[in-house]
Amino acid sequence: MREEFEVAIVGAGPAGISAALALAEKGIKVIVFERGEFPGAKNVSGGVLYGHDLAESVPDFIRRECPVERNIVESRVWYLSLDGGFNVSFRDRAFEEGLSFNAFTVGRARFDRWFAGIAEEKGALVVCGTTVTDLLRDGGGRVTGVRTDRSDGDVTARVVLIADGVNSALAAKTGFRAEPEPNDVALAVKEIIELPEEVINERFNVEAGHGVTIEILGEITQGMDGVAVIYTNKNSLSLCIGANLFDLMSNTVRPYEMLEEFKAHPMVAPLIKSGRPREYMAHWLAEGGYDTIPHIYGDGYLIAGESGMLFNALHREGSNMAMASGRLAALTIAGALARGDTGSESLAGYAAALQASYVMKDLKKYRRFNRFLLNHKELFSTLPRLGASAAREMLTVDGISKKEKQTSIRRRIQGAIPLARLARLLWAGARSIG
Amino acid sequence: MPQNSKGIDVAAIIPDRCIGCQICAGECPVGAIEMSGGVAHIDPEVCIGCGKCFEVCPVEAVSFEPKRPQETPQRIPGVPEDRFSEYRGVAVFIEVTHGQAAPVSWELAGKARELSRRLGTVAIALIAGHELKDVATEALEYGCDEVHVIDDALLGSYLSRLYGKAVTDLTNTVKPEILLMGATALGRDLASVVATNVETGLTADCTGLDIDEEKRLLLMTRPAFGGNIMATIFCENHRPQMSTVRPGVFRPGERKAGRTGAVHHYPFAPPVGEMPEILEFVRDNTGETGLDIGRFPALVVVGKGACDPESMPMIQELADLIGGVVACSRPVVEAGLMPYERQVGQTGKTVAPKLYFAIGVSGAVQHLVGMQGSRRIVAINSDPHAPIFGISDTGLIGDYRDVVPLVIKGLREAVSKR
Amino acid sequence: MNFVCCIKQVPDTAEVKIDPETNTLMRSGVESISNPYDLVALETALILRDKYGGWVTALSMGPPQAEQVLKEAISLGADAAVLLSDRAFAGADTLATSYTLYKAIRNLDLDRPVDIVLCGKQAIDGDTAQVGPGIATRLGFTQFTSVVEIRELNTYDRHITVKRRVEGGFEIVRGPLPTVITVDLGLARPRRASLPGLILSLRAVIDRWDADAVGAEVPKIGLKGSPTWVRRIFSPPLKEGGPVFDGRKDPVPAVERFLDTIVADEELISELFKNPGV
Repeated sequence: MREEFEVAIVGAGPAGISAALALAEKGIKVIVFERGEFPGAKNVSGGVLYGHDLAESVPDFIRRECPVERNIVESRVWYLSLDGGFNVSFRDRAFEEGLSFNAFTVGRARFDRWFAGIAEEKGALVVCGTTVTDLLRDGGGRVTGVRTDRSDGDVTARVVLIADGVNSALAAKTGFRAEPEPNDVALAVKEIIELPEEVINERFNVEAGHGVTIEILGEITQGMDGVAVIYTNKNSLSLCIGANLFDLMSNTVRPYEMLEEFKAHPMVAPLIKSGRPREYMAHWLAEGGYDTIPHIYGDGYLIAGESGMLFNALHREGSNMAMASGRLAALTIAGALARGDTGSESLAGYAAALQASYVMKDLKKYRRFNRFLLNHKELFSTLPRLGASAAREMLTVDGISKKEKQTSIRRRIQGAIPLARLARLLWAGARSIG
Repeated sequence: MPQNSKGIDVAAIIPDRCIGCQICAGECPVGAIEMSGGVAHIDPEVCIGCGKCFEVCPVEAVSFEPKRPQETPQRIPGVPEDRFSEYRGVAVFIEVTHGQAAPVSWELAGKARELSRRLGTVAIALIAGHELKDVATEALEYGCDEVHVIDDALLGSYLSRLYGKAVTDLTNTVKPEILLMGATALGRDLASVVATNVETGLTADCTGLDIDEEKRLLLMTRPAFGGNIMATIFCENHRPQMSTVRPGVFRPGERKAGRTGAVHHYPFAPPVGEMPEILEFVRDNTGETGLDIGRFPALVVVGKGACDPESMPMIQELADLIGGVVACSRPVVEAGLMPYERQVGQTGKTVAPKLYFAIGVSGAVQHLVGMQGSRRIVAINSDPHAPIFGISDTGLIGDYRDVVPLVIKGLREAVSKR
Repeated sequence: MNFVCCIKQVPDTAEVKIDPETNTLMRSGVESISNPYDLVALETALILRDKYGGWVTALSMGPPQAEQVLKEAISLGADAAVLLSDRAFAGADTLATSYTLYKAIRNLDLDRPVDIVLCGKQAIDGDTAQVGPGIATRLGFTQFTSVVEIRELNTYDRHITVKRRVEGGFEIVRGPLPTVITVDLGLARPRRASLPGLILSLRAVIDRWDADAVGAEVPKIGLKGSPTWVRRIFSPPLKEGGPVFDGRKDPVPAVERFLDTIVADEELISELFKNPGV
């Protein structure tokens, strides 16, 4: 009675669907399980996707009406104190023309559904509203299928791909991955704020269909290691602010309050003025980076996407790494099936392929970054405060000479943070991303 | 008006107005509407020109000229200009149980009288049942001009096919241009049967009736989508125009003793075949299951914050005082504090009592749509910003435990003075 | 026993909201679902089939997307499903809908005599409760509406006994087959699809009948066969709020003024206190 598949995939997010699509294209019998009522149902908010990665799976994604919200033409980075902040932004005509859809915002609920639809067209079976509760294993511990929460809910598969996200109950339960430490995950809260399309165009100084991303560091996370982002969707803004879970716990800060303060910040408030909050959600992010990546393959199984902690905390790149890892997993699986061996050794190529890809290279490059942020809390308190006060002083016209001002600023900085410490911080920061 | 290659007059979206709500796409019977670029787009080749999108669009972003299937009623030689000249009168089906007419029947009798006067015609009572006592006389007293009765032992209790046959026969004989019934369990069942038999249009559960005098059309307004929108419906090419109306929507007609009129009796020609047999009637003794809070003239509605066991006697006392029952909002039911039958709101019961007394009800939209037809809404809430105050005729900010006893006391005094 | 179960695809009205500022409908992203009453009807059919043996056919009328509700029916255990889909069916009101469904049931009946047709008592988008009785009347079947319990199904003398909700209580009725039953929510609790059922439904190809296949007379279907027309659609007008008295500090005078406004409504007071209760 139990049906047999060549591959069972847990999770119909970017990682799972990329893999399903690649496998189905090769004529491999694949089933995908999604616990939401439809793909993306558990992922209501917006996010940024990258054209390069999506095109690997769906080369003609624009023609196939990928539900793009806005093509990103400008990236901003803000460094904020409580009352103000610095803004660095970059815009290039190239992002409107040749590099159009280099990055774009999507509503995940719509995007995931669209993406899964393409995999289904290729022959993948996407089973929604079904939670995978456990893995089936033979006497030797080899994974042989999945167990779902439905009656007669077992399915056997020669390979199982675990791609059910950062708080993968499955990866943790099956012991393939340790429960992430509070230090290695961030808790982010997101709010979607509805605004008329033209208002967004005006406030962000973009043409219709074009958008902006803002990545924000500073005092907004109340001294905790964290970041905030603002993304423009077609007629809404995604506001997201998150902080390291350990910091949140030890500071007993409520994420929701942090979001409210963020929304009231003088650089944020005018952007969202008169907007209507539509959705609010909390979300985990894998932040540990390279050093927290579990053993991502074994006898009869692979792990992809955020289930495998594949997430670039610095650049907020989760979904593209998920897609890349899903595709690489599919390649490995296809090879293993062709060899007729889906054991650990036969699947080891996945880890190698990941190591050779930008995914691991980037994660390795930034492997110390998380630690760096955690160990230098002045980045989220003293530094933005000092920077802002210095800038404010320099820009205030009050009859005091600039030279005098510089001296007083220098004195103040030295009083707040020893120069040696500042130099070490800069050095460590550069190394952590270097 | 754009046409497609099949010559159908199709609808089109006015992109500037479209807000991308997708109501039309959900409503389109042929799936001709897709979203692209955040606005709806109608594929003209798929569109059948039914105009549903035009009807449902909340922002008038659909251009469409509503057109009847037969926009010019085809004149058949030899048939007089007015196709419906043989139909006359506004009829009400009088629902009788154990010799007692349902209150809604008299509400409709009053309305039928009003509508008939506007059309320059008569109000008619149709009665089917057994042991009807004085119901025919009552119908005349409540404002009907004539009464048509089938009284037969077979009609002792309600069975769809028997009653359906009797009322269909009455309708075919009397030929009213309008036929109204109460939207009770019985009335809704019977109206469907009769409408199917005489092949005419039926609009269920109306909350408003009006007349287009020129075209002699009954304009029937009813809630749809769980009370979120109202639709006005008409029936142009079929007679009678049938409607069921929720109890309590209209006031009973004025009863005047001594009014007279013709009472016609007809024999019953029962349908052939075996009829079902009612083995037993189980009255609702619990007072819970089947309790219809919609039938009470006053409701004291409690929110979750005001639904503690200690305060219930006090709440009940207030309800008794104003001649009503205690109802509640959805969170109360979800918390298991009251049964579903008592729930007011979109997912509960739609009510329109004379007095709606809210205590600790915040007034979520889903609740408001289920009670905004109430004649007088008063609210007590400790939160000055509670949305319920935006809809109430009178509000009182305060802790219900403090103020409700004062309200009861004050109300008693005010009434005893009268 | 041969069962036919009618299922309608409806927008999930629980998600439909009114924008409090503009008083317009907000339905973006509202999902289509199977009418919950119809799922109870299907569950009832499945239980009866499992007990007495037989065959359950799910029937729906709607645009091609309505296939989804029939797939759900298959996933839950229906043996077959037919979608009545034709542009000519579009725009049907309850009269034309019940006619179309009736013709389709007649077709199924020719193939294999239909014993019990089950429908939800009403659909949550329209709440008309007309289609079930309409089908029964046209078929000439025994009709039981608002059924809350199936007491007995006797397949030998071909009678069914049900408990149905009526004003003021319930009645127990016994009548001959074939029958049309419209079910209330309490009758059964819809099951969750098994995994093989769900997989089967994803692969199922749903039979589709157009007006020809149904054998319907064109003037009786769709828009043409619909006597009722919608003239206007609007949001229910919301009232303006009246005075609000603050009784937090000093309740006595606030309550007094609050009561004054109520008691001032002479008509209301006389109606309520003249005729307490019903």
